[in-house]
Amino acid sequence: MKMAPKQEIKERQMFVGQAASPGYAIAPTKLIVRQKVSVSRYKIPEEKTASQIEFFRRGLLLARKEISSLRDLTIRMAGEDESKIFDSHLMILQDPSLIESVTSLIQKDLWNASYAFHLHMQALIDSFERREGILKERAQDLKEIYNRMLLHLNNSESSFVLQEEIKECAVITGFSIGPNMLMHFDKEKVLGIALDSGGVTSHVSILARSMQIPAVTGLGNLSESVKSNDLLILDGTNGLVIVNPDENDISNYKKQIEVFQNQKLELFTMRELEPITMDGKYIRLNANIERFEEASEIMSFGATGVGLYRSEFLYFGRDSLPMRKEQAEVYSKVTHQLDPLPVTIRTLDVGGDKMLASLNAEAESNPFMGWRSIRLCLDRMDIFKEQLKALIEAGNRGNLKIMFPMISNIGEIERSKQIYHECCEELRAERISIPKIALGAMIEIPAAVMIVEEIAKRVDFLSIGTNDLIQFTLAVDRSNGKIASMYEPHHPAILRSIKLIVEAAHKEGIPVSVCGEMAADPLSTLLLVGLGVDELSMSSWCIMECKKIIRSVNYDEARAISAEALKLADSKSINNFLKEKYYQKIKNLGISSFITTED
Amino acid sequence: MIKQKLIVQNTLGLHARPAGHIVNVASSAQSSVDLVYSEQRVNAKSILNLMMLAIEPGAEVEFIIDGPDERKIAEELTELFNNKFYEDGT
Repeated sequence: MKMAPKQEIKERQMFVGQAASPGYAIAPTKLIVRQKVSVSRYKIPEEKTASQIEFFRRGLLLARKEISSLRDLTIRMAGEDESKIFDSHLMILQDPSLIESVTSLIQKDLWNASYAFHLHMQALIDSFERREGILKERAQDLKEIYNRMLLHLNNSESSFVLQEEIKECAVITGFSIGPNMLMHFDKEKVLGIALDSGGVTSHVSILARSMQIPAVTGLGNLSESVKSNDLLILDGTNGLVIVNPDENDISNYKKQIEVFQNQKLELFTMRELEPITMDGKYIRLNANIERFEEASEIMSFGATGVGLYRSEFLYFGRDSLPMRKEQAEVYSKVTHQLDPLPVTIRTLDVGGDKMLASLNAEAESNPFMGWRSIRLCLDRMDIFKEQLKALIEAGNRGNLKIMFPMISNIGEIERSKQIYHECCEELRAERISIPKIALGAMIEIPAAVMIVEEIAKRVDFLSIGTNDLIQFTLAVDRSNGKIASMYEPHHPAILRSIKLIVEAAHKEGIPVSVCGEMAADPLSTLLLVGLGVDELSMSSWCIMECKKIIRSVNYDEARAISAEALKLADSKSINNFLKEKYYQKIKNLGISSFITTED
Repeated sequence: MIKQKLIVQNTLGLHARPAGHIVNVASSAQSSVDLVYSEQRVNAKSILNLMMLAIEPGAEVEFIIDGPDERKIAEELTELFNNKFYEDGT
């Protein structure tokens, strides 16, 4: 008698990550494997220790930010209990003994930051692994933290390769993936991307969205738990992955895919339409971009221009500062390509959690309130003038606007404008023609809100940076898990600040834009439109949803609703009120696969 | 300076979660908070240090707290230990 072959029952497993690119896929997986972890290892000169320590601390900060957003997501998707693990991760990244040891390896042994971290963490992981039981299991957590941190400490793209060639449609799974590798994939065959590392704003996520490939990132140890050819369901709308799904999962998701396809067709009809309310109010919907390559993509999402071009990305990941010629070429590419659409470029906004290695700045105890942004530019005239001249040159090839970030007093505006005019004079002497360029101020510090009437008199437009404005107004660091829930975009103080800004701008006859994550949240979008904001700027893939939402409301009605919301005393009642007024309307739009509205 | 002996009463010992509770209390202190276990003295504000000790259920540990709020911290730690780190459900 022959024994029946033992059938391997594969365990159904669910992983929660971050929704990085909307859409669904059901397909076997193909694994990406890391060629080897390469940690750069070199000795640094003594005068570089401060900047390496700062670099290490920024890595910790960025990793903590990622983990706290992961934790928030897990609470929403899987409940409080499941999220507890991230609390220990956050605690480890703040551990005084870890920070002390790595700092001393940099300071005393003169190791570069990533090697110092590597050295200390590997020793820890080894000693955890040598133990029994619970401690041994914890080694896995340490490895996750190690991997996440190294991504921030290693500027270079690590080398990943596909374990085997993709012959049929598949979901790509791995720890991480470089943007270059992603672009070489056969788009027809890659149905989805599931990554252990990364956040929503990483370049891979941005690329996946623009390539319209569903993706989930921040999945922890997914790639270690799956084998090549395991069946996966990838839910890029909600940030979920199911490994070895059961019949039920599959039939549910097949339905979802059908709904998604229909909604996508519907949504893409938005591309050609104007962002205009039912009663005829035009709201500019601009895109936020970081790299000039994105300029070509924003048109395909139906953007009306660029509302925020973060120029600092041109300065990152290099040892020297970019010269005027190089900058002018990059900026011109964007303005020329999008001409006559407006392109608003923000002058260098570094410092805080993103200092340039080339500046060799000292570590600060409170970098967010430190030497950064316009303050730094006004001290480093060489850098500021180089950029302004490049911008003016680029203005000759399109519709350019310049905005100055982190304005906190009138002096900064006047000084910036004066330097701008000096640059114009110097360029004129070089026989370069001077275009008409609108100059604006970013309102993101509460002090600027209080004197916004004075600022509005001196500029051509205002742009509200809600991310910083909310953090500074409420004195809440969003990456601090203990108080993250206090970060409330609908806090009455924020609503009232925006009202003041809009009124001051309109009194002077200049437009107000909002660039910040708030602009793309469906309820906030309508709230802002109702408060009188003229333009919204957001990630380009949010524009079509936003357009659909704007086209479904009456401006007069939105004005009335926001006016009511302004009378309410706390964010909870404001949220409830907005939900009551708008929630059903948003649900009825039939684009649920693209927006996550919380119940 | 206060020395406070406490017994780990939960069933799983001092793993990540209870260690996290201790770090939360210790980090809120102005005082220095050290923990002594099997002849090793570590900073109780460090979760890695606490986890490395792999303190078993039933073990006795000693806290050495030194600073302006030492009395308050000792009380909070005692409460935490007596409540078995709020995790056994009993």
